[in-house]
Amino acid sequence: MSEPLIEVTDLSKSFLLPHLRQTTIKSQVLNVLRPRRTVEVQQVLDGITLQVARGEFLGIVGRNGSGKSTLLKILAGIYPPTRGKVAVHGKLVPFIELGVGFHPELTGRENVYLSGALLGFSKGDVRSMYDNIVSFAELDGSMDQKLKNYSSGMQVRIAFSVATRARADILLVDEVLAVGDAAFQRKCFDHFHELKRGDTTVVFVTHDMKAVREFCDRVILIEKGQIAAEGGPDDIADRYLEMLGAKAR
Amino acid sequence: MSSFLESIYRRYRYPAIILRAMVTSDLKLRYQASALGYLWTLARPLAIFSILYVVFVKFLRIGEGTPFFAIYLLLGIVMWGLFTEATTQSLSSIVSRASLLTKINFPRYVVVLSVAASVLISFTLNLAVIALFMIVARVPVGWEAFWLVPLFLELIAFALAVSLFLSALFVRFRDLNYIWEVFIQAAFYATPILYPLTLVPERYSRVLLLSPMAQVIQDARYVLITDQTQTIAQLYGTGWARAIPVGITMALAVAAVVFFRRRSRFFAEEA
Repeated sequence: MSEPLIEVTDLSKSFLLPHLRQTTIKSQVLNVLRPRRTVEVQQVLDGITLQVARGEFLGIVGRNGSGKSTLLKILAGIYPPTRGKVAVHGKLVPFIELGVGFHPELTGRENVYLSGALLGFSKGDVRSMYDNIVSFAELDGSMDQKLKNYSSGMQVRIAFSVATRARADILLVDEVLAVGDAAFQRKCFDHFHELKRGDTTVVFVTHDMKAVREFCDRVILIEKGQIAAEGGPDDIADRYLEMLGAKAR
Repeated sequence: MSSFLESIYRRYRYPAIILRAMVTSDLKLRYQASALGYLWTLARPLAIFSILYVVFVKFLRIGEGTPFFAIYLLLGIVMWGLFTEATTQSLSSIVSRASLLTKINFPRYVVVLSVAASVLISFTLNLAVIALFMIVARVPVGWEAFWLVPLFLELIAFALAVSLFLSALFVRFRDLNYIWEVFIQAAFYATPILYPLTLVPERYSRVLLLSPMAQVIQDARYVLITDQTQTIAQLYGTGWARAIPVGITMALAVAAVVFFRRRSRFFAEEA
């Protein structure tokens, strides 16, 4: 194993529960008069330690609300950790959602430039790859309509097509494979295989155990904000399904 | 040296790209559904100017004795407009971009800068309209008009500082917009925009002129349009009196940057 690109040491994250957070000046003033209420803290991640090596394809699985997406957002620098350390070496691009920054009132073309900018591409960069983006999305000729007039499938294809242009050392992917028709999913899988062949490091959050078995080198199972298990894709996928099955019964 | 420039370039390339994309898409969105499009940015100050001219110059005759009073008014209104628009639009800007802030990590100040940039664009167009009127009315302009450059820089710095504060505070305190709306109204009348300062007793005008907005507007009118107006330098007998409003602006700017940087780490989870 070569040097780690991501190092997470004893990471914890807690949120103040929204309904107890003081959001108006009135409630602040009232709380000065009243005895102080204790603030309820929701611990989402609790002592996560983790390393990801260059070129590794790491899967993160776990039930809804187990803390997977929060972990991804902390890796992406979107949330600050409450405790612990996160070190990321290299250019990191997050895909928390497809079509981030898309605006329904702008045209398909304008949205390509906008979401390209969010990935760090200048106007000139996008212009030079524009034809490739459009042909990959299979949408020639209809790029000057407003985005809201496209079907949701077409919107996803544009978004994914822009996303595939991202050049990064580390990609964070949250469940984007769950969208689109079968043909489109095939295309996503092909793209992932390509990434796997290259030396891009991928951290991949998903509920799809088929995808886990197909791509991941190593998988961690998160439960109640802690790493409950870590291992090869088949072991962890079985364990996860077993856990869900036990719950269902 | 070149490695220093290179590190600056690397650090600000991404914010600059996002800023540009945000400003261009904002402009496109703002004008795409209107028939006249960009012309509206020019038509608005023209229309405001006509109203001011009729009300203040023809009916109320407030500014008699002040040469070119209509243009004098318009300059004040346009400068005040920059402050009002920048601050009220910035106030909710972080919260309204919440869905973006929770998906990607980029410097949060870009959001506030993008608001300021589109306000600056319409400010520049408004200034062009004023220049047009000044040519038509044959307002004599001297070299002292170059003082407008530092004056406008002070105005922009002040507006940006307040914008950074408001946008970061609004994430926590959601009734700030109502408070700010009322405050802006009060501040509008506390600033000598519609009335000549000579109408105000001197002990009050000495206080009013300590506000950066009042100082900047009066100074800009003085250097560009007419010396028949009261500036902080005249009232206090020395130009060094400007140190107070300029000092307020600089202190506010530093505090705003520190505060915004500290708070912005938590925008994604609180917005």
